[in-house]
Amino acid sequence: MIALLKRRTSSQLMLWITLMALLLLITSPILFAILASFKTNIEIFTSPFSLPKSWSFDNIIKAWNLGNFKTYFLNSAFVTIIGMIIVVLVACPAGYAFAQLTFRGNNILFYLILLGMALPVQAIIIPIFYQLRSMGLVDSLSGVTLVSAGLALPFSIFLMRNTFRDVPKELRESSTIDGASEWRTFLSVMLPLAKPGVVALLIFTFMNIWNDFLLPLVLLKSQENFTISLGLYSFQGEQATNYALIFGGTVISMIPSIIVFLIFQRSFVEGMSEGANK
Amino acid sequence: MVMDIATSTEDTVSQQAKENMKSKRRKVIKRYVTALSFLAPALILYFIFMLYPMIDAVRYSFFDWNGASTSMNFIGVDNYTALAKDDIFLRSLGHNLLWVVLSLIMMVIPTLILAVLIANVKKGRTFFRAGFYLPSVLSLAVIGVLWAKIYDPIMGPINAFLKSIGLESLAQNWLGEPLFVIPALVLASTWAFYGLYMILYLAGLQNISRELYEAADIDGAGPISKFWNITIPSLRNTMNLVISMVVIHALKGFALIWIMTQGGPFYMSEVVSTFVYKAAFSMNKVSYGTAASVVLGVIIIVFTVGFNIYRDRSEAK
Repeated sequence: MIALLKRRTSSQLMLWITLMALLLLITSPILFAILASFKTNIEIFTSPFSLPKSWSFDNIIKAWNLGNFKTYFLNSAFVTIIGMIIVVLVACPAGYAFAQLTFRGNNILFYLILLGMALPVQAIIIPIFYQLRSMGLVDSLSGVTLVSAGLALPFSIFLMRNTFRDVPKELRESSTIDGASEWRTFLSVMLPLAKPGVVALLIFTFMNIWNDFLLPLVLLKSQENFTISLGLYSFQGEQATNYALIFGGTVISMIPSIIVFLIFQRSFVEGMSEGANK
Repeated sequence: MVMDIATSTEDTVSQQAKENMKSKRRKVIKRYVTALSFLAPALILYFIFMLYPMIDAVRYSFFDWNGASTSMNFIGVDNYTALAKDDIFLRSLGHNLLWVVLSLIMMVIPTLILAVLIANVKKGRTFFRAGFYLPSVLSLAVIGVLWAKIYDPIMGPINAFLKSIGLESLAQNWLGEPLFVIPALVLASTWAFYGLYMILYLAGLQNISRELYEAADIDGAGPISKFWNITIPSLRNTMNLVISMVVIHALKGFALIWIMTQGGPFYMSEVVSTFVYKAAFSMNKVSYGTAASVVLGVIIIVFTVGFNIYRDRSEAK
């Protein structure tokens, strides 16, 4: 018995060590970038794997100033926050209607939304560009925001429909029998019950819009409008051989998503697996 | 007289029926108005940014248009026949297929093994789950810039490492060699996306009943036999989902390729999305690029719909 127990704990230890080594290997690019952001170009070249000689934030500060990262940062924040607000305001009622209201055409409309989920952005990016151009919204943050929100809708509606489908119909019925209007029922009875779904939606939308590359690349032209992804891309083009600065810019761009992930880690992973199981 | 009564009752009956119909119709209309008040903003945005561009994409593809001129010439399917003869487009499609195959090899089973390891560890499961998910929270721009530097022939850590262990002859210009560029890109893309699949597998693993493993333990089955005979069959639905997502991701890939190679060297890593982008936004062949993007869209939609039909059938069994 004791021998078996010992074998169990030793195999657990082996497993733990294996996973730790794997984790170190897999996260090594991130560690490498963080270490390199403290080094000089010569140091990166001569001793790529050692710790930096001094922990100076020079590269990060220089990249921040030289690369306009402050502007990119604020632009990304604008696009992401307004985009999230639009998505939540639009997708929650729509998901609710698909899940709880009975009307003819419900299914057909929902299939149309599902079609949008299958449709890749690449297939419609060219018409979107010309449509925005005719609306005078090319190279404007509001243009990117609107399109980002619009493209996020199919999945968001799908997610909210599944969330509201899990709320018992009886709750809605008893509320409407008491004479509450549909909107009132939605806002004061159903929406509070859908809170975990809304949190998942917010996290998904944040990640999608904050990290997006293709839409900003196509729709934004002048540097003062760049988002952080596009800014980093153009920065690495300008500073092609200045590795230390590029790593500085890379680390700046990493930080927000890592912080958001660490704060919301739990709801993140749970929302992800739930969203996929539906 | 008798007739009169009959008609009058008929009248009241039909009147009542009419009233009923009216109130019923009013109810139906009210229902519609309510539903519409919930759906209208979504439908309007969906129409403007998805449905209309979708129709426009198909429309553009039948014209000859450079994006600037005010007139569009209708040319029928000429863009599509030209694509069928365009060597670079066909190679892009081929690269997408290669990308699909390589991603499937690198993602489906290795990620499952990782998930099984994490599911079996007792101490620090949450920590490992979060740690291994970390690469997936980074933006593709960050990942692209970072991996371009990792593969850098002069200062990149891969070559530096090979040099330090005396294998300098293996050092490569990883993104500049035709043979290595796509595998190198797929490795970076695997790093970027496996986290999601790991989470899906972990969720699936939770649903397998412990009893199956306990029964196998009694039969004296080893870990590998348990993996093949219990884990994989029980995870069939999750694996189907993962496979379909890997395929779709591989067909859609753009950002990493654009940042790391822009389709080079000599179109060796050109895929359909980069082909579309170049045609439309740097060569002014707008309608031609749109036709290519329609081909890509159709491939992805057909695959997605087909997969969902297959999944519904196999899960119904």
